[in-house]
Amino acid sequence: MPVVTPTLASIIFVAGIVAGSLGALLGLGGGIFLVPFLNLGLHFPFTAAAAISLATVIATSSSVSAGRAGKQLINLRLGMLLEVATAAGSLLGGVTAQVLAQSTMQRLFGMVAAVIAVIMLTRLQRRNVILDPNADPGVLGGRYHEDESGGVVTYQVKRVPVALVASFLAGNVSSLLGIGGGIVKVPVLNAWCGVPLRAAAATSAFMIGVTATAGAVIYFGHGQLIPALAAAAVLGVQLGSWGGMHFGQKAPAKWLKLMMAVILLIVSALMFLRGGR
Amino acid sequence: MKDLSAQLERTIGIVLRVGVTASTICLALGLLLSLVGGGAISSALLNIGVIVLLATPVARVVVSVAEYAIARDWVFLTLTVTVLLELLASVVAAIAGRKV
Repeated sequence: MPVVTPTLASIIFVAGIVAGSLGALLGLGGGIFLVPFLNLGLHFPFTAAAAISLATVIATSSSVSAGRAGKQLINLRLGMLLEVATAAGSLLGGVTAQVLAQSTMQRLFGMVAAVIAVIMLTRLQRRNVILDPNADPGVLGGRYHEDESGGVVTYQVKRVPVALVASFLAGNVSSLLGIGGGIVKVPVLNAWCGVPLRAAAATSAFMIGVTATAGAVIYFGHGQLIPALAAAAVLGVQLGSWGGMHFGQKAPAKWLKLMMAVILLIVSALMFLRGGR
Repeated sequence: MKDLSAQLERTIGIVLRVGVTASTICLALGLLLSLVGGGAISSALLNIGVIVLLATPVARVVVSVAEYAIARDWVFLTLTVTVLLELLASVVAAIAGRKV
């Protein structure tokens, strides 16, 4: 386990600011950048890197959802249903992380980073599904006021089993690799389950806190979550995501996404190189 | 039904904000103290900060369980209780790991 020094804490604080602001700009959590930095850059054990990252994910989810509460953008019912699956996946991931070899986790991270890069590239021109404003939202659907169009958006949730499977996988990947897992859920909820992008993102961010907690608790119990370094990362990410949300544009420019996809592909290659040894 | 959702959303918002603020304060103070020399107080603050951070999402599930129980919404009560049990299972897995 890494030794805590003021220098190390400062480096992680700054890394947290960078990861948090990039995350806010891209609508991702910062975990996908923080984990490789800690593991490949600072040579932390993968489990320690994942644990610190999960702590930042919980903080981001809590503060973002607190800010959104009351705007009806979070679909509480859908979130509570899918959490059953994400928490189960996360619990399994947290237990599995204790027995897997570091190289296996690095290869898995490499695979997931590559998949995320491809998702980002294919969604450069993402559009919302077309919605009938008069539809009955049903038990799981939702209705919210959209600021841009000034209208009310109503939607039904389709293919609930698909959403449950995606949530289980997202939860599993989340606690195993130390990322939020929104990148797995949001495209599925949006493209296949009829949930508008903004509601899908808000609901996913809401669930992520519970999901990451199921995993982080296990790392904490095993002594892999170092409180001082988690503190530095959490404070950095909080500051970074606050800055990213206040000073960045709402919709990330296409080139920014392209650049991030390229960075993710490089991260993926590095993880495979390290994990292959 | 709709009223419950709006009410629950506000309550959850308060729980999350209080939790994240409390943990951020503990973590910031603990980290600052540890940088100027450490000691028992700083490590206690850091541990409290982490535990409050981890307890915040659990608290919001507990609040949801209570609200659905009061509203006699059995389906969502079952779902939220299941999530709570899953979180308890992870605490059990964490404690099991501590002994090893």
